[in-house]
Amino acid sequence: MFEKSTPEPAGSGQTTPEQSAPDDTARSDRIAVSIRHLSKSFDGVEVLRDVDLEVREGDVVTILGSSGSGKSTLLRCINWLERPDSGSIHIGGQRIGVNDAGRPMPVRELAKVRARTGMVFQSFNLWPHLNVLHNVTEAPIHVLGKSKAEAEALARDLLEKVGMSPKADAYPSTLSGGQKQRVAIARALAMQPEVMLFDEPTSALDPELVGEVLAVIKDLSAEGYTMVIVTHEMAFARAVSDQVVFLEKGLIIEQADPETFFTNASTERVRQFLERNEG
Amino acid sequence: MNASAWQMLLDGAWTTIWISGVSIAMGVIAGLLIALIRIARIPVVDQILVLYISLARATPLVTLALFIFLSAPTFGLSLNRNVAGILALTLNTTAFNAEIWRSAFRNFSREQREAAMATGMTPWITFRRIMLPQMMITSLPGLINEMSFLIKGSPAIAVIGIVDLTRVTNRISAVTYEPLPPILVACALYMAIIGCLVWLQRLAERRANRLAM
Amino acid sequence: MSNWEILWGAREQFWSGFASTMEIFGLSISAAFAIGCGMLYLLEGSRPRLTVPVRVFIDAMRMLPFLILVYLLYYGLPAFDIRLDAWWSGVGALAVYHGCYFAEIFRGARLTFPPGQVEAAKAHGFTKGKMFFRLILPQIVMQTRPLLGNQLIYALKDTAFLVIITVQELTAAANSLSGTYFIPTEAFIVVIGFYWAVSVVMEIIIKQCGRFSAKRGFDHV
Ligand SMILES: Nc1ncnc2c1ncn2[C@@H]1O[C@H](COP(=O)(O)OP(=O)(O)OP(=O)(O)O)[C@@H](O)[C@H]1O
Ligand SMILES: [Mg+2]
Repeated sequence: MFEKSTPEPAGSGQTTPEQSAPDDTARSDRIAVSIRHLSKSFDGVEVLRDVDLEVREGDVVTILGSSGSGKSTLLRCINWLERPDSGSIHIGGQRIGVNDAGRPMPVRELAKVRARTGMVFQSFNLWPHLNVLHNVTEAPIHVLGKSKAEAEALARDLLEKVGMSPKADAYPSTLSGGQKQRVAIARALAMQPEVMLFDEPTSALDPELVGEVLAVIKDLSAEGYTMVIVTHEMAFARAVSDQVVFLEKGLIIEQADPETFFTNASTERVRQFLERNEG
Repeated sequence: MNASAWQMLLDGAWTTIWISGVSIAMGVIAGLLIALIRIARIPVVDQILVLYISLARATPLVTLALFIFLSAPTFGLSLNRNVAGILALTLNTTAFNAEIWRSAFRNFSREQREAAMATGMTPWITFRRIMLPQMMITSLPGLINEMSFLIKGSPAIAVIGIVDLTRVTNRISAVTYEPLPPILVACALYMAIIGCLVWLQRLAERRANRLAM
Repeated sequence: MSNWEILWGAREQFWSGFASTMEIFGLSISAAFAIGCGMLYLLEGSRPRLTVPVRVFIDAMRMLPFLILVYLLYYGLPAFDIRLDAWWSGVGALAVYHGCYFAEIFRGARLTFPPGQVEAAKAHGFTKGKMFFRLILPQIVMQTRPLLGNQLIYALKDTAFLVIITVQELTAAANSLSGTYFIPTEAFIVVIGFYWAVSVVMEIIIKQCGRFSAKRGFDHV
């Protein structure tokens, strides 16, 4: 078994919403997520074609691309919500979905590897029968076997971090979209994952609520969390990323640091895309 | 109607309530188990359960009660009337409850399930902690509706000699020669019982709607 | 002689029980359907003083077991010097009881009936009755057919209650055969098979109606 490295970087106790750029010197060279030769088709249509991607620990990788280009599918393959047709994915060195013998992983083992990732969905997907606090404590208690007290202490810290502590006892149906998404982020963080996956976390939000969610994600990046983010928010992607990946019809056609990507993209297609989206 | 007639009616009502209550409790749980087995789609077992559900939904309760009560001795079982009655009601209501539970399972939000899996919950924990509590809330109105149907079908057990709230009116009128009054009182008692269930069903619906928001 | 051979020898009794059940069922659901439609028409409000009593009556019936209504007709009515024999009490109870359920099903669909169509019909000078029977009722019946199909199966099953007031129908046939020859298991398996077969056939017919109505464009108008 692999030792589970704690993703809690220095300064995680701090809750001041400082929005500094990620600290380059703190970056390690260890690989958090490694994707090799990943292919996936739905009903004979290839959605991902031989995708290779590496995410270093502490890096923020944003995935851009037009609608239907396979962004969500790529993200959902990382935690095996979607089962790839071929290729391999390692989370912190541990292969997901396929065990050492090359057979499909038993569900318990798969769940353990999944727990090393945290996912935030476009549509929040909070559990409506649980209040905010219990949405956050549910997995730590029932997956990690934490005590109730321990899980609640952690949950309160995380809710504080995302600015939702006053709503700890509220039920999801009473929250705004932005509030729901911040709770969903706290829920994912509660498992202390090695990598956070965001699938268009602000696309379902009213424009005036987008900012509060992006601010939380920026905080996380400043704290050194490893994140893979699918988004349509160009300015945000530029500010927060260490690496930008552009998907087109299931192929990675451009991969660069944000400066190069946004000012000096090598492919015509990306320049077109940026023109249209930055308007 | 004299005091003893009233006493008999209340006894009959009690018989209806406890026999129905036991059948409801067993039927709700057995229905869930059958729904889960069907969801697992085990070959052969699944076909057998489909056949059972289809048969149980088409068989009149009276016929089923007679069948169980009369044919048990030929298998060397001597069932007491109450047990046979409970068995008939349970076999019937279980089939309907299984379909209610199964549809709650099938309509469960895929996204919520994925959110649970993504936090590292196994399918079993996901079922127990995320799905089942919500399925209980969403199924409850349907289950309560089925309870009303069971109470309305419960006079069928009179056919095997159980003196329930309907049958007791025969006993009373055998003495008083006035069948109408006890029947009217029985009507009122049935309305009270089913009225309670209808009211509970409304509460359950409101709760289910709140969850769906 | 095996038990099944004994039953085969007694097939006449099964057939007459089956025929009797189907006769009761056919007659009573036709009447129930008419009662349901009539009640829906009354609920349209052409006779305002009847609307509330009809609603109360429907709700009351839905809170009673079928058998107690049979008891009311069979044992209760003689108090008013109305004497129905067991057969007519059974048919009458089935018709009234399931008529109320039909009415409730129709009422539910009527609530969501597009008001635009009614407006358009009014504008074309349809009378109230014509509008109801030519426009509203056919659509509501087609739209609610799955629920009506369910109700038909309930009605079929309720015919078996009539054995309790000694109507000679299908379940009574099994009961008397199992008493005569002491072969209850086989006798009841046969009658359950009958009920099941009729239910399955009704379900298939309802599904076929669904295809027909889809062709005619009754759904999603
Ligand atoms: N479960 C599925 N079954 C069949 N096809 C699917 C499924 N999921 C996705 N697809 C198809 O795969 C393609 C890629 O989908 P994906 O959701 O990954 O795109 P995306 O880049 O996330 O798009 P968007 O920006 O609209 O979210 C689309 O054409 C989509 O229709
Ligand atoms: Mg997507």
